[in-house]
Amino acid sequence: MSRSPTLISTGTMPDHHPNPVYNARIQEIRLPRAYSFRARCLLLLIVSATLVSATDWRAPDAQLARKIAAATGPGAVALEVTNRSSLSQADVDDIRRGLWTELAALGVHSAAADQAAATVEVSLSENLRNYVWIAEIHVGNSEPSVAMLTTPRTQQPPTGERPLAPLTIHKALLWTDDNRILDVALPTGSPQIMIVLGPENAVLYAAQNSHWQVEQTLTITHAHPWPRDLRGRLLLRKDHLFDAYLPGVLCQTTTVAPLALNCRESDDPWPLATDPSALSAFFTPSRNFFTGALSPSVQKQTAVAPFYSSAPLPRDKYTLWIFSGVDGQIHMLDGMTDQTSTKWGWGSDITSVRSGCGLGWQVLATSRGDGAGDTVQAFEIADREPAALSAPLEFGGSITALWADSENASAIAVAQDSETGQYEASRLSVTCNR
Amino acid sequence: MKHRGFPLLVTVSLVLAVVAGAATRPHYGGTLHVGLRTAPTSLDPNRAESVASENLFHLIFDTLVTLDDQGRPLPALATAWQAESGSQRWQFSLRREITFPDGTPLTPEVVVTSLRAANPTWKVFATNDAVVIERDSPEPDLPPELALPRNNIVKREGGKIAGTGPFVITQWDPGRKLVLAARDDYWGGRPFLDAIEVELGKNFREQMVSFDLGKAQVIEVAPEQARRVATGGERIETSPPIELLALVFNHDPQSVADSKQRDALSLSIDRRLLNSVVMQDGGEPAGNLLPNWMTGYGFLFPVDPNLTRAQQERAEVPETTAWNLGFDANDPIERVLAERIVLNARDAGLRLQLATGPSDVRLVRVPLTSLDAQIALTELTASLGLPQVKIKGNSVDDLYTAESALLKSQRVIPLLHLRTAGAVSKTVRNWSRARDGAWRLPDVWLAAERP
Amino acid sequence: MSLRRKLLFTLALTAFLSVAAVAWIISALVRRSFEHNNEERTVALVEQFRRDFARQGEDVARRIGTIASGDASTRMALSLSHASPDYGAFLNEARAIAENQQLDFLEFVDGQGTILSSAQWPAKFGYKDTQAIRATSKDAFLKREELPDGAALGVFAIRQVNVGDRLLFVLGGRRLDRDFLLRLEPPPGMRTMLYQNLESGFSPTLLINSSGLMQHADPVAPLIRQVQQRTREITALVHWSSNTADDESVDAIPLTGLDHELLGILLVGDSRRPYVESRRQIRTAALLGSAVGVALAILLSGWAATRVTRPVEQLAQAARQVAKGDWNTQVTVTSADELGDLAESFNRMTTELLQQKEQLVQSERVAAWRELARRLAHELKNPLFPLQLTVENLLRARQQSPEQFEEIFRESSSTLLAEIANLKTIISRFSEFSRMPQPQFQRVQLNEVLESVSRLFQAQLRTPDRAAIECRLELAEGMPPIAADPELLHRAFSNLVLNAMDAMPQGGTLTFRTRHEGEWAVLEVADTGTGLTPEECERLFTPYYTNKAHGTGLGLAIVQSIISDHGGRISVRSEAGSGATFVIELPGNTDKLPADQVAAATS
Repeated sequence: MSRSPTLISTGTMPDHHPNPVYNARIQEIRLPRAYSFRARCLLLLIVSATLVSATDWRAPDAQLARKIAAATGPGAVALEVTNRSSLSQADVDDIRRGLWTELAALGVHSAAADQAAATVEVSLSENLRNYVWIAEIHVGNSEPSVAMLTTPRTQQPPTGERPLAPLTIHKALLWTDDNRILDVALPTGSPQIMIVLGPENAVLYAAQNSHWQVEQTLTITHAHPWPRDLRGRLLLRKDHLFDAYLPGVLCQTTTVAPLALNCRESDDPWPLATDPSALSAFFTPSRNFFTGALSPSVQKQTAVAPFYSSAPLPRDKYTLWIFSGVDGQIHMLDGMTDQTSTKWGWGSDITSVRSGCGLGWQVLATSRGDGAGDTVQAFEIADREPAALSAPLEFGGSITALWADSENASAIAVAQDSETGQYEASRLSVTCNR
Repeated sequence: MKHRGFPLLVTVSLVLAVVAGAATRPHYGGTLHVGLRTAPTSLDPNRAESVASENLFHLIFDTLVTLDDQGRPLPALATAWQAESGSQRWQFSLRREITFPDGTPLTPEVVVTSLRAANPTWKVFATNDAVVIERDSPEPDLPPELALPRNNIVKREGGKIAGTGPFVITQWDPGRKLVLAARDDYWGGRPFLDAIEVELGKNFREQMVSFDLGKAQVIEVAPEQARRVATGGERIETSPPIELLALVFNHDPQSVADSKQRDALSLSIDRRLLNSVVMQDGGEPAGNLLPNWMTGYGFLFPVDPNLTRAQQERAEVPETTAWNLGFDANDPIERVLAERIVLNARDAGLRLQLATGPSDVRLVRVPLTSLDAQIALTELTASLGLPQVKIKGNSVDDLYTAESALLKSQRVIPLLHLRTAGAVSKTVRNWSRARDGAWRLPDVWLAAERP
Repeated sequence: MSLRRKLLFTLALTAFLSVAAVAWIISALVRRSFEHNNEERTVALVEQFRRDFARQGEDVARRIGTIASGDASTRMALSLSHASPDYGAFLNEARAIAENQQLDFLEFVDGQGTILSSAQWPAKFGYKDTQAIRATSKDAFLKREELPDGAALGVFAIRQVNVGDRLLFVLGGRRLDRDFLLRLEPPPGMRTMLYQNLESGFSPTLLINSSGLMQHADPVAPLIRQVQQRTREITALVHWSSNTADDESVDAIPLTGLDHELLGILLVGDSRRPYVESRRQIRTAALLGSAVGVALAILLSGWAATRVTRPVEQLAQAARQVAKGDWNTQVTVTSADELGDLAESFNRMTTELLQQKEQLVQSERVAAWRELARRLAHELKNPLFPLQLTVENLLRARQQSPEQFEEIFRESSSTLLAEIANLKTIISRFSEFSRMPQPQFQRVQLNEVLESVSRLFQAQLRTPDRAAIECRLELAEGMPPIAADPELLHRAFSNLVLNAMDAMPQGGTLTFRTRHEGEWAVLEVADTGTGLTPEECERLFTPYYTNKAHGTGLGLAIVQSIISDHGGRISVRSEAGSGATFVIELPGNTDKLPADQVAAATS
């Protein structure tokens, strides 16, 4: 206690407004069409992150240098920088260089510890929200003084994509959000637009200057609270822009301008595939799975055990439907038999894509990866046994959605990053390994 | 030719798939059995024993505001808020269509009554759809303060309490058992679990027995046991260091000699060995009250012992006072900690003796109650029985100044910041903790069987 | 004290003394036997303790040996090759092993004495215990062990573990505590206590027995202090309470450590209760025996009384009756022994006495009749002689001088009448004596009666025809009234006055004195006359006895009769020439008063 240094100067980047305001992202009354505050921040952040490859430390460098110089005065100083934070070594070097530049401008120059008039220990620390830079300044034999400043922590850039595999699943990061992403759809056409389905709204983005800009936010209205592990599916339509299926709720865009979203309580079955065999299934309104009732049927089979997801594999004369059951079993329905298996190690989410490789259609199935995240792997079913065709594609967290797009050409996967907690939506496409 | 590259890959992948296990969507249903050491006789968040029951409050009640893992306020029962008059007057808009388990709606009046009960000095009143809180002085930290356990919104009627949380109480045997059922109409989404059964008042050993027998799926593990239990193959979840272990004096130093003895005591204690040996790395040495991850400046406070200086300080005192060191005699690890402190103090020539009765200095463990550093410090000092801390501004250096002043008053000698640990059954999925160690049980779901 | 009591007392005392003597002898024998036994038992227990101690030491040494050769010791020794040992890894190791091996103390110490892991004081890792590793003995030894809450005594053993050039000591032991004492299992009546000599002087909190801390340790303090001073075995009698049954003979054995320092004192207590109880039983038996003996003595004496003392008592009773005048008393002769002879002799004696008495009475009666006849003759002769002379004178006058006859006849007839009257008087007095009435009791002030008598005689005493007699009254004041017949008393006192007047022809002093002695009223009538000879005194109250020239001799007999009828006594004391004093003692006689006068008499 007796050695705790005295604080000689204070200074920080402002942390709050004089009159702080918090408005929930879900604007129910006052701002029905306003953009989400946080999504806006996030968008700006992502934009800025893409623009600036390395963070600019000049401002905090200058601020800390001024504080150090104020305590030591011009002259020889021995300065040591210790990293106690998550900053990379490159950043630390950058900061050290920047500090010396700023100190030199204030008449402070470097010296060995035994020749310096003062020694300064700079610690680059961090707390929950900010980097905390602390300079402990020892001049002579007096009690050390402390200078401190805080600067906001930058978002960690998203982890890079995984390497390619022989039959490769390509993952293209589409969107990142703090809030849950249920599905993403990319209608063809120009200008390119992207629809991101969230729990409370569907946001339309338009590509402008290689960046997505919010075009419109369509609020989803629902009378009952959403269940946990909320799922939703976007299906592009020809006569109107899209349908959004949510538990107990069906939302459809208007067919005429202006674009709006009409939601109603509905127990309509969710389309499992549009082509070639249009099959729908009923979704439990307050849960996260399909009841198992099929509409119309897989030939004579009208029901299956409750399931989370399905994947059609068209064969020459029939379509083999694979269901990932709530009970952990995989059900294979060919119109006649219901064959089950538990040993494949597949997760709850499966879908199928038409790649043209191999048998033409592959199942994309989730499973638990070696690391913190889930993986997606492509399989073919030959002789009712799965055969892996690709290396597992790893995600930074658990996969919360895996839907084929309306054409079954590619799949949309949403994963929640286990470190940042953010949701990342990616487009998965399978290409042949030639 | 198309298939030529596949066979090897297939083999590898099959193996991988079997080893890796499935990435399953959450299952609804099931009852989670939880063991807790605390034995509250009341579930009212306003009661003094509430700190240890915080994990239960999250299940039954909601606050107006919650904090994210960086300590930033997020909307909960309040969807928006606004400060006026230089943060002295705050207006919180309430989420609509929130109901209590009995179907009655959450009204601003209920919120006002609840907040007034928890904060008698506040001026709280209701407007149309909002709650207004007026403070005597500007309070920029009011939203995080509303996230404190005591500010859970509670409806008290005829001796019964109710909350708007994700679970509703179906059985309550005070101090022994709590059974909760999921609310289908919870505004944050129905929990995956159907029910949670909490066995209360079970010590670590009893909890571990229940866990080993499969009778409990989530239990607490003593921080010093976490490493050993983990090496036994159990799934151990630990929090960041969120509990302060400190020596607290009953009163301010009475003399220069007293002050020097306290200095000597602080300098004599080898916190690193306390942590690495006695607590089995169940925490971090602490030179100050708030953990470093929360403040960023914790390393400025020395934690290493300095026996030479301790002996010097001691030598300047003509005659030392013998201090009674109080500790929780029911906690074996506290006994070892206290014994070690006595030994360390003896090295510096100080006279400490263990006491289970009245004491001059106590070994205490106080959990952090907020992820907001300022609130956390204020609550911590209140829990330790120290004078109200004055934090000038909102910056980290104001916090540092306040904490330094607090430590200079020599009422408290921080020793360690301890983690809390829990063992979680492998059938429990999507287990997570908030940064402050609180369990997020509404997100948890149970796998049908062990993988 | 009666013969029977004497017999009873003698017999009872004899019985009691014999029983007491036997009890004392048995008690002394028991005591000697007990003490001998006690000594033997103490020696045996001390030996047993030494063996147990050694056995426990061996057990501890064996367990330490097991631990030293175990994996944990090897691991710890190996960890010593690191710069700083991982204390954390071993923190609970010692405690777990100690629990497993049922040891109270266990420490793993490196070659420099640094504690790696401690069971008894887990927090002491990293600290030095250099004292411990000096012990090189293979055997167990006694050691003082510092603990967080004080110090304790233990039986320790130490083993050395060598892994490569690394040296590890395993030091452990068992606490000398109540469990240790429990394991000693002393024989019944004996117990062990342990004083842990952990502080200088005596502290009651350091004395334990097999049930824990001793509540009442002070009585043993002097013994412990003695052992502390001398460090040698001492035996003493300890009084735990005022009840001697709680006394204990305590043998204090010093227990020393490696440096021969006094670490503890083993106290082997042998309860005196069996001895005290057997002594108490003997005493009770003796008392009971005495009581039985005394009771037997009473019975025996009762029997003896029937056989021996009853005839004697009958004799005594008979003698008392004889003494009372019941001459007819006879004793029943029940036995033919000496007592029978005695009874027969007694009966013979009373028979003879009765015969003699009857003879005496007859002779006295004859004498009295003779005396009466003589007195009657004398009394009657006296008037008869003048009568004869007068009649002869008349006859002569008729014959010789008829002229003078008339005158002589008148003179002679008057003389005749006077003498006949005199005869009548004599005859009436005899008649009166024979008709003495029974007294009519009433409340009487004796003094008043005397005053009345003195007044009556005042004139006669002062008549000029004779020498004057002075009457003096010396009456006690406050004389209680008595029950008596005043008429009779008056007559009796008058007789005494007349008697006194006769005794003082030349005059003198007549004195009445009264006094009271308890219930009795005492009256003295003293004259200053000629006095009486002893022979006269003896016969004074015999009827018709008189020493006077005239008189019937009935005066004093009447007095005695009256006094006797009042239950009183009369006596005379006199010496010739110096007067006589009659002493009359009268009882209160309140029981003879009619009921209506009792209250007045006693008030």
